Amino acid sequence: MNCEEIRNNFADYWRGTLGPAETQQIETHLASCPQCRAEAEGLKYVWGALGEMEPLEPRPALRARFYASLREMENREAERSRRFWWLRNPVFQAASAFAILLLGILIGNMTARESGQVAQLRTEVNSMKQLVTLSLLQQQNASDRLRGVTWSYRVEQSDSEVLGALLTTVNHDTNTNVRLAAVDALRNFADSPVGRHGLVQALNKQDSPLVQIAILDELVDLRVKSAVPAINTLKASAGVNPEVRQHADWALAKLQ
Amino acid sequence: MGQVRDGDLGASAVLFERHHRALFNYFVHMNGNRELSEDLVQDVFVRLLKYRKSYQPDKPFPAWMYQIARNAQSDAMQKRRFEVELGETEIPSAHGIDDKLKREQEIDLLRRAMARLPLDKRELLVLSRFQNLKYEEIASILGCEVGAVKVRVYRAVRALGQIFFELSRRQMPASGGETA
Repeated sequence: MNCEEIRNNFADYWRGTLGPAETQQIETHLASCPQCRAEAEGLKYVWGALGEMEPLEPRPALRARFYASLREMENREAERSRRFWWLRNPVFQAASAFAILLLGILIGNMTARESGQVAQLRTEVNSMKQLVTLSLLQQQNASDRLRGVTWSYRVEQSDSEVLGALLTTVNHDTNTNVRLAAVDALRNFADSPVGRHGLVQALNKQDSPLVQIAILDELVDLRVKSAVPAINTLKASAGVNPEVRQHADWALAKLQ
Repeated sequence: MGQVRDGDLGASAVLFERHHRALFNYFVHMNGNRELSEDLVQDVFVRLLKYRKSYQPDKPFPAWMYQIARNAQSDAMQKRRFEVELGETEIPSAHGIDDKLKREQEIDLLRRAMARLPLDKRELLVLSRFQNLKYEEIASILGCEVGAVKVRVYRAVRALGQIFFELSRRQMPASGGETA
């Protein structure tokens, strides 16, 4: 041990809590190191004097106060256990369990009734959205029809009337922007075989290269393999835009 | 304490009789005020009873008690910003007194040195020297390693020694220091 380690053990040394080997080590060190010896002597004096300090006595009133508050606490505990004796009564415990069970059943029934009402409300809201979508899609104004396409996102995917209206828009709307928007909106119906088939059918009814390319992209994204013959037909048709033909080749490569 | 925890409040009387003096002395060393220390001893025993359910039997009781005592002391210090003035009695001249009286004076001086020691060091000396707690127990109370307690106890003794010898030099010209 070096000087610092020796000094850190001083208190243990004075307390007599060190083992014989460590005690020996410290004594050997103190015999040969005058600095540590001087420090040990000074501090041992202080340590010894600390041990001679007489402990102070608290006033007897402290004991009286403690016993008074102990009695008060015991009385309170006894009072509490008297007041709530019925909590430990098995009849009360059984009755509580039964009451909680009844309450559970009651809440369960109310929730079920409420969820029936919520479902009805949801159906009503959906049919209202459907009505708005369909009526907007039939408007003269192209921007109204665009709003109709946007509204179609709010109806449920399973709504076949809206799907039919969107397909009609893709095939027959006079405005390219509305048709493009409707092609995008059909992604919402990707899970529907009718939607996928309608998209394939729509490919060869288009005259706008923009819409043709949008449909090709969507067919590739949705992995519609049944579109291959329709894409071949598009490629073979006269007057097709060269970029569309190139895009059709890319789509065929992706799908095959 | 196990009995107290299980609802036998009367068993706390044994704990009170066994520990209240040591606890009182701990507080007196920490805040220098006897009345406040008595209040705090009372406070600790009330807290012990109140929170008895949180006592873990595998832990030594003194460690748990001193943890509560430290909290009580720190709450009191926050409330009252205490100026610690321990043993500020006039110390008579060292001339012409016998050995016993001289020793008593030294002990008095030591009390004053303790009062000037920083609180953390004083607490370590109180726990290790006056309360005779093991280093393991002190480590558990202070929330540190046993090795750290050992080093800190030594440093606390050394700091106390420095203050004590400095006070001795000032108060006792006979011992070769300057006059007060």
